[in-house]
Amino acid sequence: MKKIICSLLIVILLVFGGCAHRELNKQDKLLSAAPRSILIVPAVNNSIDVTAADYMLSTLPLPLAERGYYVFPINVVKRVLEDDGLADSSLVHTAPTSKLANLFGADAVLYVVVERWDARYAVLQTTTTVAVYYQIRDGKTDELLWDNRVKMVYTPDSGTPGAGGGAAGLIAHLVVKAVVAAVEKAAPNYMPLARQANSRAFLYYPGDGIPPGPYATAK
Amino acid sequence: MRTLLKYFCLSLLLLAMTGCVAQSRYRYNWCNYDTKMYRHYKNPAQREAFVKGLKEIIEEAEPKGKVPPGIYAEYGFALYEEGNHEEAITYFKKESDKWPESKVFMTKLIAIADNRAQTQKENAAASPETLIQAEKDNQKSSTEGLK
Repeated sequence: MKKIICSLLIVILLVFGGCAHRELNKQDKLLSAAPRSILIVPAVNNSIDVTAADYMLSTLPLPLAERGYYVFPINVVKRVLEDDGLADSSLVHTAPTSKLANLFGADAVLYVVVERWDARYAVLQTTTTVAVYYQIRDGKTDELLWDNRVKMVYTPDSGTPGAGGGAAGLIAHLVVKAVVAAVEKAAPNYMPLARQANSRAFLYYPGDGIPPGPYATAK
Repeated sequence: MRTLLKYFCLSLLLLAMTGCVAQSRYRYNWCNYDTKMYRHYKNPAQREAFVKGLKEIIEEAEPKGKVPPGIYAEYGFALYEEGNHEEAITYFKKESDKWPESKVFMTKLIAIADNRAQTQKENAAASPETLIQAEKDNQKSSTEGLK
């Protein structure tokens, strides 16, 4: 009996091992390239909000550094690129990665494209959306090492109408709901969504996130 | 009334202290780095607050050895932009010493800042003479004008 259980366990482990291996494929290139440092270049903005790129940029160093990588100072990098005539981030994104990496001595480069950054109002509800496409490229070979696409959606919750409130309660609830939606529309809370998008993109591991960097173990 | 005032003062103090609380779940002491950066992009005119904010991160994190990567360089560059080239170099060196990955970039920044510091010195040294010369020229032209 014990033998059967043992062999069953082994079979199960093998099956799972196979699954895990297939899942890991996404990070294989990143694992073998094993970059120590990541250069975060200014984001390309394809959303309708002009401020999205800079805001997105400011959320990126924390999750990557906490993951254990050396992260280049984003604002210095931005200013240096501007001085070199690369103020337009889409020019930076189309330049050869190796050339860029060489300029800063970076092992890898992170490119971020903001695809959506908006708040849409529809029937007493505002839905805020942040969608981002992430790419890490090799600083020597220009090769794509890892990519991920994340979309985060937030709808403020104004609760449900209280029981026994009747029609008056329901109307009061609808008013509250409309106010909450209007507030979110006027000042959408993008930053928490951007942070969540980063966490979702980088930290889900082993899944589609990135492996821990060299400083992750040396605490 | 007095106790109320006491509580008020205490809560103010607490608020002031929570400005930069280290979150233990993080490897580094970030002190709201992303919010500071985002405010800087939102209001570039409030530069002083931004530079002060960067300094705050270093002051808070340095004694614990938890300065995040890039922060020394970020602060050094802010000093460089303000014309404080020599102190900027100090911080570029700190970044380079703490993070060997930054060495290539920091060496470049140090060279640029050093170059600026030299020309600044030369200009400062040259300025009294040039001023005197300018004054002489000025006198000459004014007397010439009289003739």
